[in-house]
Amino acid sequence: MQPGVTFMSLSTRIGDTVLRPQAPLWWWVGFGVSLLLLAVLVVSCTYLFVNGIGVWGVDIPVAWGLAIAEYVWWIALASGGTIVSALFYLTGSPWRSAISRIAESMMLSAVASAGIMPILHLGRPGFFYWLFPYPNVMGVWPQFRSPLLWDFVCIICYILMSGMFYYTGLVPDLATMRDRAPTRVKQIVYGILALGWQGSARQWRNYKITYLIMAAIMAPMVVSVHSVVGLDFAGGVTPGWHSTQFPPYFFFGAILSGLALVIMLTIPLRHAYSLQMVITGYHLNALGKVMLTGSLMLGFAYFWEVFGPYYGSDVAERTMLGGRLTGTYASVYWATVALNITAPQLLWWPAIRRSEWALFLISSGVIIGMWCERFVIVVTSLSRDHVPSEWGSYVPTIWDWGVLVGSIGLFLVIFFVILRLVPIVPLAELRELIAERAPP
Amino acid sequence: MSPKPRQAIGEYWRGLESAAVNSDGIAALASAAPHLPRRRLLQLMAASLALGGLGGCGPEPERRNLLPYVEVPPGIVPGQPQLFATAMTEGGYGTGLLVRHQMGRPVKIEGNPDHPASRGAASAIHQASILTMYDPLRAQSIVSAGQLATWEAFVAAAQTWRGNSGEGLRLLTGPITSPTLIAQIAALTTTLPAARWHQWEPYDRDNERAATAVAFGRPLDLVLDFAPADVVFAVESDALSSRPGHLAYARDFAARRRIADAQGQMSRVYAIESTPTLLGAKADHRLALAPAEIERALRVLAGSVAAGPSEWIQIDTPHAAWLKAAAADLLAARGRSLIVLGPEQPRELHLIGHAINAALGNFGATVRPIELVAPEAPGIAELAAEMHAGKVETLMMLGVNPVYAAPADFDFAAALKRVPRSVALSLYRDESAVAATWHLPAAHEYEAWSDTRGFDGTATIMQPQVRPLYGGHSAHQLLAALLGTTEPHEDALVRAQWQRTGGVDFEAFWRDTLRAGVVENSAAATVAATPKIELGGLSAPLSVAPASVTLLFRPEEPIGAGLDTDNPWLLELPRPFTRLTWDNAAILAPVTANRLRVKDEDVVTIEVDKRKIDAPVFVLPGQTAECITLPLGFGRSAGGLAVGVGFDAYRLRTSQALFAETASSVTRTGRTERLATVQHHDRMAGRDLIRSGTAAQYARDPDFLGHTEATGSLYPAVAYPGEAWAMSIDLASCIGCQACVVACQAENNGPIVGKEQVLAGREMHWLRIDRYFTGATDTPTIAFQPVPCMHCEEAPCEVVCPVEATVHDHQGLNAMVYNRCVGTRFCSNNCPYKVRRFNFYAYAEQQDRPAPSWNPDVTVRDRGVMEKCTYCVQRVRAAQIAADREDRRVRDGEIVTACQQSCPTQAIVFGDRNDKTSAVAQRKASPLDYVLLADLNTRPRTSYQAILRNPNPAIPEDAT
Repeated sequence: MQPGVTFMSLSTRIGDTVLRPQAPLWWWVGFGVSLLLLAVLVVSCTYLFVNGIGVWGVDIPVAWGLAIAEYVWWIALASGGTIVSALFYLTGSPWRSAISRIAESMMLSAVASAGIMPILHLGRPGFFYWLFPYPNVMGVWPQFRSPLLWDFVCIICYILMSGMFYYTGLVPDLATMRDRAPTRVKQIVYGILALGWQGSARQWRNYKITYLIMAAIMAPMVVSVHSVVGLDFAGGVTPGWHSTQFPPYFFFGAILSGLALVIMLTIPLRHAYSLQMVITGYHLNALGKVMLTGSLMLGFAYFWEVFGPYYGSDVAERTMLGGRLTGTYASVYWATVALNITAPQLLWWPAIRRSEWALFLISSGVIIGMWCERFVIVVTSLSRDHVPSEWGSYVPTIWDWGVLVGSIGLFLVIFFVILRLVPIVPLAELRELIAERAPP
Repeated sequence: MSPKPRQAIGEYWRGLESAAVNSDGIAALASAAPHLPRRRLLQLMAASLALGGLGGCGPEPERRNLLPYVEVPPGIVPGQPQLFATAMTEGGYGTGLLVRHQMGRPVKIEGNPDHPASRGAASAIHQASILTMYDPLRAQSIVSAGQLATWEAFVAAAQTWRGNSGEGLRLLTGPITSPTLIAQIAALTTTLPAARWHQWEPYDRDNERAATAVAFGRPLDLVLDFAPADVVFAVESDALSSRPGHLAYARDFAARRRIADAQGQMSRVYAIESTPTLLGAKADHRLALAPAEIERALRVLAGSVAAGPSEWIQIDTPHAAWLKAAAADLLAARGRSLIVLGPEQPRELHLIGHAINAALGNFGATVRPIELVAPEAPGIAELAAEMHAGKVETLMMLGVNPVYAAPADFDFAAALKRVPRSVALSLYRDESAVAATWHLPAAHEYEAWSDTRGFDGTATIMQPQVRPLYGGHSAHQLLAALLGTTEPHEDALVRAQWQRTGGVDFEAFWRDTLRAGVVENSAAATVAATPKIELGGLSAPLSVAPASVTLLFRPEEPIGAGLDTDNPWLLELPRPFTRLTWDNAAILAPVTANRLRVKDEDVVTIEVDKRKIDAPVFVLPGQTAECITLPLGFGRSAGGLAVGVGFDAYRLRTSQALFAETASSVTRTGRTERLATVQHHDRMAGRDLIRSGTAAQYARDPDFLGHTEATGSLYPAVAYPGEAWAMSIDLASCIGCQACVVACQAENNGPIVGKEQVLAGREMHWLRIDRYFTGATDTPTIAFQPVPCMHCEEAPCEVVCPVEATVHDHQGLNAMVYNRCVGTRFCSNNCPYKVRRFNFYAYAEQQDRPAPSWNPDVTVRDRGVMEKCTYCVQRVRAAQIAADREDRRVRDGEIVTACQQSCPTQAIVFGDRNDKTSAVAQRKASPLDYVLLADLNTRPRTSYQAILRNPNPAIPEDAT
């Protein structure tokens, strides 16, 4: 944070933006576009539910398509937000505070987009709740050995937990909003949400402990959530999936893509809110470093993903790998490598890490690259299974793409709504930083 | 030819615009068929149904009441199937079948074990015939000159057509073996001496018959016997695919190819052919030869076995050593060998074939001449000439479609225009029906009384299984009407015919014969004639025309040359070699494709004497270079579901070149057309999915293939103390005929999905027959592998299903619980064998199929659920219930799965693995037994028997 930022300037600049009755023009434009994209999702889902899963390009052998790839993709993006807000909270990284609200809001929005995918992809989506272990007249329990069940449980826990974590972090800021609210209605709404926060020493003490505990739960949880998503694949005997490295591999991807999305959101937001004083080059530099680390870890996983089948003796793994590197979808694979591993190497240069444009471009590349990676994992593996007579391919239809575009719409709509409701940087935490730096 | 419309289910209509082209309004409506997407079509159909409902407010033409049984008819027990014997004819020859009824409605076809042409097996066409019977696209009304008419009106009109002696009255039928119909035609030609009967089949077997006429002095049918044949030499033979009696031949053939059943005396099979046949694919030595090369090779062979002039040995052929070795083998097996030629071979080659069989003493041993089962009659050439000359006043076309399939040079459509009165009796409103002045919907063979004789002369009385669903009439009724009987009932006609031969107690004979499905002792006796064949007088062998492409007109095995292509199951049935569904394709060898610079799905224009067709290319390893196979029976312009599917090769086919023609040109068009093949990869890619060896290796060491035992598991093995159901599939026996695939679909209510969905990779066959090539691309070894569910003991599908929709039962069946399935599809992803099928759409619901045709024992699956082979669990349970009631264990062989039952070669065996005396346990004890992908430790219940071949050591492996 740059000198000159005070308690007061923080509150007016950030808190009052939210409380202003009229949203800025950029918000309306962004929100409008997001609503259009959301309409695409509504249309795509309606068409899907009316006509059935056949409107997508999935087939036998590639019975999973974009929906699953995007599920993993969104979950990874969401996890990135939790990593910034919870994991780096535990490590006490000072750069984390200024961007933690952006990261958490992003996590909440992304988890919504992720959460709809497994349901959309079901053949009979109306019965998704059968995955839940509830007592029922059928007398049937779910299959506890199925990674999909673990996944379902993890996702539900993750959604609930991240919601609570987000809310806990918001409480002191909600109190600020309550105190500064210009209208009676807003005072009441924020007042209820602030849960009677007074800012007393006792409250602060309890709050700090609670938040620490929640962070301590969230940090391993985000690792486990994405690991379990990895087990969805590793639990199968399908060549290209059946690998013990999938849990960490998927987590590495989550770090990389999550950080990339945080950067992509932070850069325009610091201009929109004039936060250059709060979110500085120092923050971008730190984010760049973490993203580079993620890219290196992911590169390690990519290496093993190729080396394992090459060095092993499994003919199915080898032919699958050959198909992945040179087959129909080879361009997607090499795009994955170029965007996720090669391009982020530019981040070794401090100048690149401090350049908003470069960071934004590299991050966008990583987001696309991670989507490609999920596509490669899901599709190329299934298209080259054990029995060659059943090898096949998958071509997404317009309705597959509709769900992708629409899910971006859902993400953005939620994110834009959050922008209008809560301060986009955590005021309380930043005040703490100011206080620590300049003791009264 | 114009680009074909994409065919999807329900795309039956061509659009009302085309109605204007045709003066026959109803014809145009019925043959309408536009390029509507399925969904749009369904909407339109829903709308028209609603409108139809309004129409229903008026008086109904024929009111029928549905009444529940007050007293259930004797014999009907709800849930208990009943079997009724009948037969089905193909090319006139009958195959005895059993029709399974559930609560009075026929649902499934099985072979009749007592019938010599079936012996319990049923082909794909037989299996599918039940769906043709129910097909709502069948013609349903009598049409005269574009107007609806009645049967009574037809009978009245027919009386006036006879004239004094039947001048100008012509009858055109396919080959006929029905004693009743033959007697009726005889009565007609006696009553009306000027009337003429013509007989014609698009894919005839006249060449073989003509050669027997030369050899024996009169035409005879030849019945083969593969059981004693130690050496078989096949010249593009259809003995395993469509020759009358092929099911029986396949059974005997396969028994000599299973080392366990052949008792070490495996037969050896040589094949020379231009396009792959089922028999050729099983050969130990196969040569892909052009027709001219086949002629040379056969002459060399004839010379070598002293059947032909000795100078023929000197004929120049690149395969001299190969032929010499084959000849030596044949000579060593005198009386135990068999030369068999396909119907496409010219008369001279058949004569050479007969001569070789005679020289080897095979007549009376492996080849049995019998009197013609289907009597001869003048063919279509004479008829067409008369029609063009305006001499034909009335033409009756009974069960034939000459406008579509007659040789192009006859221009039958134009000839028909010169005939004032024409009658078509056909199941569908096909091309001939549209062109004729009268169209009478035919009764299906399961809807009418008739009789028929099989390939060996065995007679069957065919009894109707239902009343005609769509008001059809049989040929018997039509002829009776022509003869002046106004209220003909074919029941009486058939009875009257058999009363002549029925013996003393006719009622007992009638009852017993109907029950058995076979007229006792009706098989034809062997004709004790010796062939006299002088080959010296044959003309010199054809010279090979350089750089010309030969077109081969062939039926599309296993669905024939056009009579059955309207059947949805057959249209969507993958062909054994190309594994194409729906459309046909011009089949090229890889070298020819390279020369023409075309690849799969490229459309080429094929021209013969100014007649051209456009056809998409399919490149098939094993096809002879410079030979293009054009499957017949597609490109229909009227009829049922087949309208608009594929291209019509009949348009190039002339009476002078019925089976092989030299193409004037084959040129690329630059266009492509998608072909719906269900197998995109032809090689095993390093896996040992199909294991094979030689009989010699086996004799040295039965264990030569080694065993891949499943490795241990961290978890204790599940015990199966009671029955443990298991299956064994013998790959040496499997000839790839696809009968099991249709049988499975019929038994288990498998839907069809349409070409677009097959292209999307969503075919729904629970059982597929993979076809793999090994060896060189031009001369590959071809192997078939039926793949049903493996019913793994450690099933990967089960653990990944989050809702336990697929689980194991206590007998090891991997069960699929449809109503629990939520459709995550993880089970399919995790199935290494990829045998699971998913209802991406509500395929069963979308199929235009009457409700009574579904098998009530099997759930019809809804949209969004997974399905797969169940080992015919409904049959397993039925047998268990029967056994429980009698307080005993299920006997071995009591449970027969649908695929097993239809298999002509007995490749599939099912039973209790725990019962060490059971057939399946014994097969599994064989050293040739193996499971697919054993290293995955899935412990499949379905196992395979490796292929053994019996090559001639005198022929090196790479010899051509």
